[in-house]
Amino acid sequence: MSAILECRELTKSFGGVDAVADLSFTVARGNIHSIIGPNGAGKTTLINLLTGIYTPTAGSILLSDHDTRGLAPYKLAQRGLGRTFQNLQICMNMSAVENVMVGLHLRLNRGFLAALLRLKSVRAGDRDCRARAIELMRFTGLENQIDQHPSEMSYGALKRLEIARALAAEPELLFLDEPAAGLNANETHAIGALIREVAASGVTVVLVEHDMKLVMDVSDDVLVLNYGRKLAQGTPHAIQNDPEVISAYLGGA
Amino acid sequence: MGWLKRIPRPGLIVLALALASAPLIFSNPYQYDVAIHVLTNAMVAVGLNLLMGYAGQISLGHAGFFGLGAYVTAVLSANYGWPVYLSMPAALVVVAVLAFVIARPILRLSGHYLAMATLGLGILISIVLRTEAGITGGPDGMMVPPISIGGTDIYDERYWYALIAILLVATVWLALNLIDSPVGRALRAVHGSETAAEVVGVHTLGYKVLIFVVSAVLAALAGVLTAHYSGFVTPGLANFIYSIEFVTMVVLGGMASTYGALVGAVILTLLPQFLTGVDDLEMMILGAILMVVVIFMPTGLVPTLARLVPGGRR
Amino acid sequence: MFAEFLQYLFSGLTAGSTYALVALGFTIIYNASHIINFAQGEFLMIGGLGSVMLMQYGLPMPLAIVAAIVLAVLAGILIEKLAIERAATNDIVPLIIITIGASLFLRGGAQFFWGKSIHALPAFTGNTPINIAGATILPQSLWVLGIGAVVVCLLAWFFTRTLTGKAMLAVSHNPNAARLVGINPRFILMLSFALAGALGAVAGAVAAPITLTVYDVGVMLGLKGFVAAVLGGLGSPLGAVAGGLLLGIMEAFTAGYISSEYKDAVPFVIVLLVLFFMPSGLFGSRATERV
Repeated sequence: MSAILECRELTKSFGGVDAVADLSFTVARGNIHSIIGPNGAGKTTLINLLTGIYTPTAGSILLSDHDTRGLAPYKLAQRGLGRTFQNLQICMNMSAVENVMVGLHLRLNRGFLAALLRLKSVRAGDRDCRARAIELMRFTGLENQIDQHPSEMSYGALKRLEIARALAAEPELLFLDEPAAGLNANETHAIGALIREVAASGVTVVLVEHDMKLVMDVSDDVLVLNYGRKLAQGTPHAIQNDPEVISAYLGGA
Repeated sequence: MGWLKRIPRPGLIVLALALASAPLIFSNPYQYDVAIHVLTNAMVAVGLNLLMGYAGQISLGHAGFFGLGAYVTAVLSANYGWPVYLSMPAALVVVAVLAFVIARPILRLSGHYLAMATLGLGILISIVLRTEAGITGGPDGMMVPPISIGGTDIYDERYWYALIAILLVATVWLALNLIDSPVGRALRAVHGSETAAEVVGVHTLGYKVLIFVVSAVLAALAGVLTAHYSGFVTPGLANFIYSIEFVTMVVLGGMASTYGALVGAVILTLLPQFLTGVDDLEMMILGAILMVVVIFMPTGLVPTLARLVPGGRR
Repeated sequence: MFAEFLQYLFSGLTAGSTYALVALGFTIIYNASHIINFAQGEFLMIGGLGSVMLMQYGLPMPLAIVAAIVLAVLAGILIEKLAIERAATNDIVPLIIITIGASLFLRGGAQFFWGKSIHALPAFTGNTPINIAGATILPQSLWVLGIGAVVVCLLAWFFTRTLTGKAMLAVSHNPNAARLVGINPRFILMLSFALAGALGAVAGAVAAPITLTVYDVGVMLGLKGFVAAVLGGLGSPLGAVAGGLLLGIMEAFTAGYISSEYKDAVPFVIVLLVLFFMPSGLFGSRATERV
């Protein structure tokens, strides 16, 4: 089976500094993959490159063997890419369930005239859309906060809301940018369980995370970055015993 | 009260009834004239609210579209002898095309830069209208032929009131529908977080362009109607100060509230009526209203009041 | 030919220095708060029209100008204290609207108390044109250029040599860090409005003998100053000065060589082109959103 994602000699520079340099790796379909590395290793830059927020300075990104060069984030979403954000991107002008409903955008009748005239198909689509959004909120453990305003929800709940919204778009490949950051041990454990459930439903998950316990618990495959370059890639067990990784984390860097 | 929920749009019915019964208290043409101004301003405000209130994109140039719409139909019908039923839609098409062409580069901008660009566009339109005297009559303006039905010219304010009231109700109905749809949700998501909307597949620039064009066309429609109703246009119609007044209507009534935009238009259009005798105070009062509303009622009148009524939302 | 060119250059530089001062006012407030103060043009009006009115009340011109500048500083402080500080928001749209409200309020006030007629402030040192290489320049233009240069030098000194000036720069770079080292951002914000008021009023007073002055003179001058600030890349003081001069010169050459009727359109055409093709101005650096 071919890789769902492949990077070839990917480079991104900001004013002469390479945040990501000459990076090549593949992500196999299925399972949970993690990208780790010390602060400033280029993880967030990488995720922004992969999801089309940044354009690479050099190199290429292949999504199921198709080059994604020049594709805007919304086009990548149409090709089955989803993500959540380290700095939450919740629409504070909409209720919780409406945020998830936005995720279903691509599944709905988006015709302008149909919307203006509020055709039957639009009304029916919206009813189903809300039902599906509620289902996803239940799946992510938010069943008690359906019509709440995001400003009344806890930080952990908003992180889950982002996951629900991303899942609503039915991605094949889902990037989670530090889903456990700012969560306590119990919440982190629960997020780990949720990530496993998401992967079990057939979504390939790429996790960018600082919490090593979570990473080692849930990942099938770990990619380690340092100074924007690939330091190592392998199973959690192999990574934990890799001397280079250990020295990068323990102050060699 | 349960039966109220069965009616699809209670607010719309209230609006239609109010507009239909308002003439009962009108006793002279002047009152109709004021009412017509309220309605055309409301039309602009409802459109601008779609852009500003829902999609979160500021425009300080909508009077430009209003004035341009008025002038295109004026020039085509007066100078080129086009029948009004052709010149009016032609004006809407011209404004739609201009708005569409300009929207892409303009809406890549945000915040102050967007404010500056829309402001510049509006002012450019008004400068062109004032300067191209050969076509537009220059600063003095030009006469516009009336609408005629079956060979009879329509001058009676009552007919105009009825026509514009019907168009406004239709506009409000369409605007409410639009907001209550996947398109409307996408627009609100653009306001909430453009990045978030984009990564779930919302073509954010496309939606911004769409709603910019829609709001420009609504402003143009109000301008077109004003031109033929009043029989006269001047470049003053496109004045920067009117762009600010339209924004004030939206902010005063309440951003992201269609009925708020209506309320804002009513208050701001009627304000000068209550200031007769102290006309010179109008600008000061307008400025004070803007500041006080944004500081003390940042969500605007209607949403602020709606929050006081349990269960009230839009 | 050359005399003509020189003539346009002189008038362009004169107008440009006024725009530069207005643009500096925008820049100072923008740096302290990321607010665009749409009432900046009204400070100009207070400087010019205020001086004329105070002279009518019997003050000698220098005193009238100083008093008008004080008036503009007060207006700036009041806008900041009564409106900006009370609006608990960082959202750009409401802040734009508040300052637009303030500008309408000041303009309306001027109209109400000082009337709608156009006034000229007497030239500082007579009206005998000076001949330079076939072109003429009014003594007042030299005043505008000279005072513009002095003000720019004073500002440069203020921002690089005084503690308060450095504190203002610190706030513009990183408000939180500035707060940690004991700088009061509210005070800086108030100071920026006071300074912008003074700058605007100085520009308004020295330009008033040339541009004439009226209650709504600030609308166009304010917008052009804003254009100059955007041209220079919002937030860059040097950019603001360059943007102002460039704008004045291009306007004068358009009026001279192309069409005087479209002179007022020049700034807006330029700013649209710049925004479309160089969205962060001629001298600005691009900021990227962090997600």
